[in-house]
Amino acid sequence: MTGETNPLGSIHVAPRAIATIAYHAARESYGVVGLAHKNLMNGLAQALVKDPTHGVEVHYDGAQINIDVYVIIEYGTRITSVASSVSNTVRYHVEKALGLPVNEVNVHVRGLRVSELD
Amino acid sequence: MKPQRVKTIRQLPIDGQALKRLIEAGLTWLRTNQQTVNSLNVFPVPDGDTGTNMVLTMQAAMDEISNSHETNFGKMAHSVAHGALMGARGNSGVILSQLWRGFARAVDHQEILDSALLAHGFALARDTAYKGVVRPVEGTILTVSKDIAAAAEKAEKYAIDPFDVLDEVVKEADLSVQRTPDLLAVLKEAGVVDAGGKGLFYILDGMLRFANGLPLDTALTTVQPLAAMTFENSLEAIEPGQDFEVVVDFQPANSLDLESFYSQLQEMGTSIQVGEGEGIYRMHIHVPTEKLYEPINYTRSLGTITKVSIENLIAQMEALGASKGSGGLTLAPVEPGQIAVVAVSPGSGISRVFASLGVAAIVEGGQTMNPSTQEIINAFENLPTDQVIILPNNKNIILAAQAAAGLTVKKVAVVPSRTIPQGLAAMMRLAPDNEFDEVVQEMTEALDSVESGEITTATRSVEIDGVAVQEGQTIALHNGQLVLAANSVEEACLGLLEKAHADHFELVTMFYGTDMPKTEVNRIADIVRDAYPEQEVEIQEGGQPHYQFIIAIE
Repeated sequence: MTGETNPLGSIHVAPRAIATIAYHAARESYGVVGLAHKNLMNGLAQALVKDPTHGVEVHYDGAQINIDVYVIIEYGTRITSVASSVSNTVRYHVEKALGLPVNEVNVHVRGLRVSELD
Repeated sequence: MKPQRVKTIRQLPIDGQALKRLIEAGLTWLRTNQQTVNSLNVFPVPDGDTGTNMVLTMQAAMDEISNSHETNFGKMAHSVAHGALMGARGNSGVILSQLWRGFARAVDHQEILDSALLAHGFALARDTAYKGVVRPVEGTILTVSKDIAAAAEKAEKYAIDPFDVLDEVVKEADLSVQRTPDLLAVLKEAGVVDAGGKGLFYILDGMLRFANGLPLDTALTTVQPLAAMTFENSLEAIEPGQDFEVVVDFQPANSLDLESFYSQLQEMGTSIQVGEGEGIYRMHIHVPTEKLYEPINYTRSLGTITKVSIENLIAQMEALGASKGSGGLTLAPVEPGQIAVVAVSPGSGISRVFASLGVAAIVEGGQTMNPSTQEIINAFENLPTDQVIILPNNKNIILAAQAAAGLTVKKVAVVPSRTIPQGLAAMMRLAPDNEFDEVVQEMTEALDSVESGEITTATRSVEIDGVAVQEGQTIALHNGQLVLAANSVEEACLGLLEKAHADHFELVTMFYGTDMPKTEVNRIADIVRDAYPEQEVEIQEGGQPHYQFIIAIE
């Protein structure tokens, strides 16, 4: 739980909620054609329910928020640029929504999609 | 002369070499308007670098083809796409490279470009760009690519040559960019159009301007959103005939004919900029003294003036020159691909020393005035390179510098210099053309090669690390640690040098601050020289506030 205290009480934000923000930010990043699972077992389990946090892991150790994003990128784009855009966009959107700093956003490129046009 | 060039490019078949010239024109025009594009950047992350990213991407494409003698249009287009891919920077750069990739595919191996092929190229460019994202966001460069593909398809049917198609494409690009705030709420909130879309417009418009023989080096009839208008550049260099800056806000009675508006203003002065927002226009111009009231009278004839502001630039320049001491700094020019260093400096003299060692940008700041993360970013964001090293030169600024490094797409490393002497020692190791990580390591290692001393006045009574200090005493800090308190500056200097074992070193450089009279500096220098006859003692103007001396011992 990510918490913040104000005079009226505490606010707790579940990692899952943060993951949802990160998920949407990643999906709107240019060059990302999909999010992937960290491993196949998770993938099978989550494929059954439409999961809004698919391919995103949020870790909160009591002090820092770390986010891992697993993405599939369009073949033919510059992967490093796309990945750093994803990282920037995810960080920006999470920080904007949460008002708390994000320690790190790790982008894991799990695969490339080749969409041949001709 | 210019009408003849129109004939050449428009009469000759458009082959690989013609494409090269068009790419160059697109790049030049984009670069001319880079700041405008940067100022629009609010989506997806408002970091103000879209223009820079697009320029770097197009520059990479240009570099790829600049020495090519290829005449086949299709092959040249593939080289452009390859260069853009390799240099793709940021979101907009990646999309731009995808557009080129699609375009190159459409014109595969074709010797010459014709209208139908150009329209096909825009269509495939759009298709390729849209394939690169799960959920395309409309109101961005993607939307503009879609709209211009449609315009090209329509225009192709009756076009005589590809430039007729380009003509329609540029018109549509302009309109499409203006529609982006209606599609994307963030843009509307910020009162801007999409930056990436605008950048694409400039590239295409640059090509068309080149074909029509129009100049590409000065941003002319561009209307910016009001929020994006900044006149900071007015303080850089004032040429003869730029005595006054006049800014007029007005509401035109009828719709404003920009072309004639600009040509009228050009009769009066230079540095013309026009901004627009919610029916109000803002006009900015530099005029000579004798024409001071002309732009005001002229705009009054067009509508209602709401606000006028006039500034005397000559007087401003003089004031600025006085505050900065003997003239401006000459900073090291940076080439794309080189490593640029940004240094934080507390005073003009130290800035000059940093500049002489090859620093590319200076951020003013020090003990009592820490620069913000944004100020640090601003210092390097527009340098033409993407490899940047920051020297914070103060332990309180290291964090801001690290934050700045995390907020940019550029490759930025902070060499954590805690004092000015450390920063100077690190600069000695700078090799701008070497491998980035190596240089960072070298410079970081250099930090410990120097002993730093600072002499200042205690602002309160305190006891730290066993040193008792009375308010008003002179204190000495060795490598940032308080080591002694003394009743005079020379006593503090000598005490510090002793603590730092200056007799084991070769060179002592003393930077004196703003509140040290020159005679006093010379007197103390003589005392230090007498005490350390074996060491070389150098005296330099530091210009820093609050510190009588900053001392480097190496």
